[in-house]
Amino acid sequence: MAPRIGIVGAGHCRFGNSSDYDLVDVIAYAANEAFVDAGGLALRKEVDQVLVANMAGGLFNRETAVASALVSRMDMEPCPAELVENGPASGASAVKLGYMAIASGMADVVLVAAGEVMRSVTGWEATDIVATMAHKEAEYNMGLTLPGFAGMFTRLYMQKYGLTERDLALVAVKDHDNAAKNIYAHVQIPVTIEAIADGPEASVVNNYVAEPLRMYSTCPITDGSAAVILVNMDSPKARLFKKKPIRIAGIASATDTHCVHNRKDPLVLDAVRLSAEKAYKMAGIGPKDISFAELHDAFVIFELLISEEVGFFERGTSFLAVRNHETDLRGRLPINTSGGLKAKGHPVGATGVSQIFELVRQLRGEAEEGRQVKDPKYGMAVNFGGFGNNVVTTILAKD
Amino acid sequence: MIDFSAYGEQTPHIHGFRCQKCGTIYYPAPMVCGKCDATRDPVTGRGWEEFDLEGRCTLLTWTRVWNLPEGFNKKFLMFGMVSFPNGLKASGRIEMEGDPKIGMALVARTIEADERPGKPVKVFVFELA
Repeated sequence: MAPRIGIVGAGHCRFGNSSDYDLVDVIAYAANEAFVDAGGLALRKEVDQVLVANMAGGLFNRETAVASALVSRMDMEPCPAELVENGPASGASAVKLGYMAIASGMADVVLVAAGEVMRSVTGWEATDIVATMAHKEAEYNMGLTLPGFAGMFTRLYMQKYGLTERDLALVAVKDHDNAAKNIYAHVQIPVTIEAIADGPEASVVNNYVAEPLRMYSTCPITDGSAAVILVNMDSPKARLFKKKPIRIAGIASATDTHCVHNRKDPLVLDAVRLSAEKAYKMAGIGPKDISFAELHDAFVIFELLISEEVGFFERGTSFLAVRNHETDLRGRLPINTSGGLKAKGHPVGATGVSQIFELVRQLRGEAEEGRQVKDPKYGMAVNFGGFGNNVVTTILAKD
Repeated sequence: MIDFSAYGEQTPHIHGFRCQKCGTIYYPAPMVCGKCDATRDPVTGRGWEEFDLEGRCTLLTWTRVWNLPEGFNKKFLMFGMVSFPNGLKASGRIEMEGDPKIGMALVARTIEADERPGKPVKVFVFELA
């Protein structure tokens, strides 16, 4: 039987622009914060395994072997350290591998540190670098980018289910409201529906990026880092950490076709559904047990689609729940309480760990006033790699 | 002796792939046939037949992208996903005036594009039938 595995430390920098700073320093900052949160920096000597999540330091920053650099920067040698790269799901994948390291018996304490510094290049170059995860011959070479795919995806959903551009703007308004209260978010500015959808200047303020997606339907380009410390709750080492563990109740991943066009129905995200089903099964719960969720809304259409695939809403109805404020902070099922990728920001390699950081804060009751979910029991995070072709679902529990 | 100048520039083509063991078709090329487990040698292509993927197709969805990546010097480009009569689907660029319509008939052809650094690449262009 696998041991109980929990998170006893969590750290995060303010997301935004870190482009004047070294990638390894940015990641190490979050790792230091996680140790401080767990009880002190001396605890780093108790770590049996370091996993670093980073998607493209080689391309954004011309820095590779980041895990080796991190342990040295933090005076943690000779602790084993490896880099985990799974596109924008690198963060949650690293947490999953950390879980597996403890479950296997090879480690009792794992540091998962994640980060990305993307603003070291121009926005156009960053879009191009992120697009390299698409199929080289059949997608990337065509000039397609992730916003391009999301635009095509959104148009299909609109035609099939009646989603409107105003509905997309409502998701953005909700996410920005949440981010405005989150001290770690990149964009801490609320927006109004008048400004980005209903008002006379809306089409200027909220211009098209990839039709029918507009600027407020897409995440910003963001730098940042996040870290968590995983511990075997049944090990004597668990007593070294001052914070009560937040238990990893379920964690699972699944894959789908690399080429989006090779899916039977482009609107169906099989990897999301399958990873969530496995995570629910592992946790012994279902969608109705989830108190709140962080869903990978690099484009707001993803928040809607993922919320359907994981079983929160019937297919084609999630936007009606947004209209009814069911996913607001005070709603029946708050979604993207952090502001999501949309407003908190999306430093690609860091995002999965940042989502889990938010689950930990909420489950501990440590979120800011006005942003804390009332008495949460289970939090879910869904982290996308590629265009939904490598997805990790994590469920955390407050015991 | 070959006189290279006697040969005009070849028209670029994008290929579909047919497994000769079971007949299943693919785009882009797999390394293993999902139906019969036949493998494809990426150098010789032995056991697989290549065919030109072009001609009539149907538009499944589309977008007009305004924030093009590094290297593209256009105000916008339109992209679409199409299905061919043989069941294969593909993504590529759309070249036409005005807004496309989902379900409309298009014709696919291949061009060589060199917006990005490195060798030119083959790109699908979907146009009005």
